[in-house]
Amino acid sequence: MLSQAIWWSCIALECFLLARGVLGRLIVRYPVFYGYILFVATQSVLRSVVHRWYYDQFYFSVYWVTEFLGLVLGCLIVFEIYRVALAGYPGTARMARKILLFLFVLALAKAGAAFAGDPHLLTDTTPLQMERTLRTAQAISIGALVMVFAAYSIPFGKNLRGILLGYGLFIGERVICLTFVPVSGEDFWFYAYSGSYLMALGLWLGHLWCYQAIPATERNAPLDKEYQLIAAATRRHLQDARGFLRKAMGS
Amino acid sequence: MEFTSLIAGVVLLLLLLAAGAKGWLTSRQWDEVTPGGDDEGATEGCPEEFLSRIFLRGDWEFVRKLGAGGIERLFQQERKRVALIWVRQTSAMVKRVMRAHTQAARASANLEFSTEIRILGNFVTLMSVCGILATAIQLGGPLWLNGLAHFAHRLLQQLAKLQESMQAGVLARSESGGNT
Repeated sequence: MLSQAIWWSCIALECFLLARGVLGRLIVRYPVFYGYILFVATQSVLRSVVHRWYYDQFYFSVYWVTEFLGLVLGCLIVFEIYRVALAGYPGTARMARKILLFLFVLALAKAGAAFAGDPHLLTDTTPLQMERTLRTAQAISIGALVMVFAAYSIPFGKNLRGILLGYGLFIGERVICLTFVPVSGEDFWFYAYSGSYLMALGLWLGHLWCYQAIPATERNAPLDKEYQLIAAATRRHLQDARGFLRKAMGS
Repeated sequence: MEFTSLIAGVVLLLLLLAAGAKGWLTSRQWDEVTPGGDDEGATEGCPEEFLSRIFLRGDWEFVRKLGAGGIERLFQQERKRVALIWVRQTSAMVKRVMRAHTQAARASANLEFSTEIRILGNFVTLMSVCGILATAIQLGGPLWLNGLAHFAHRLLQQLAKLQESMQAGVLARSESGGNT
């Protein structure tokens, strides 16, 4: 009964969100995000149909294929947030790219080490474990991006902030739920897993009711040489300060 | 892996809740002063003579010789309060320097990852020193921190110089921007 209520609520909110997106022309500004919402709405209906009439033949494969497609589209949402938010900030964009590249290499090295330790790892891993691993990587990437945005005080409009907060909270909750959710049966974590998306939809609807512009940015600032000078001065002064610290602690 | 996932999920949730609650992802302006924030009342630094008096034991010994318990308590409370204000001023200045730096860096296509990481490391170190000083003052009072406070004051002067050079850079940028 509760699963049905969550399912119908999600469908209703998705339709409402899409309608608001079309009416407010937000769909043009955030095409990947609305594409994701449309995909999730379609996937819910498809899964429901398959569950009712073709459960034994197709449900397992349809569920996991759509789940992983959703995950890929989710990564594209993160890319859209990065692209829109950092359009006027090439310095921060560069920093974010380097951090994400570092995380990607780290994840790849970890996966490589795991495969080297256990050659049957891929065949032994269940789809649920695979999803948890990929969602964890996604959660770490989103966390790193949020820290970069906060450190460089990147101004966010209400719409983009809503997309980031909603999707980030959804991923965070989903990662936690995936740690505890049972393979079969319905307990608290099962409902929390389904409910996390409902919460994200509510947040999105509140933030994406109508279009709000992102505050103006200082585009094309001629800063390249000045950055070098400022960074050199910052490093020199902070290194002096650290030298004082060592002296003081030593004395 | 399960534990890593759990930690990642919890950290992300906390980070986003903090971002939502503290307004990290709102349209902040650089010269904006948050009411009640750390920067409030931190625009002027303490003179060195004043600083040395905060942490010197001379006044305390004079008060103790009076033998009045009430005055002693009042003296300690006031000294602690003044010392904590000074530490807050210091940390606010460090934050301002870092803000000025990130303001310059975020729009620069020439930004260097390793430089930024090093600067961030130094910033974290300085903020940690301020945190340790504040904790030490809270726990033991300012009177046994004389040496450390003088060091921190020299640190503050360094940072003031740094801020001046930052402002000069930003000024040069705005002037060259105005000329183009």
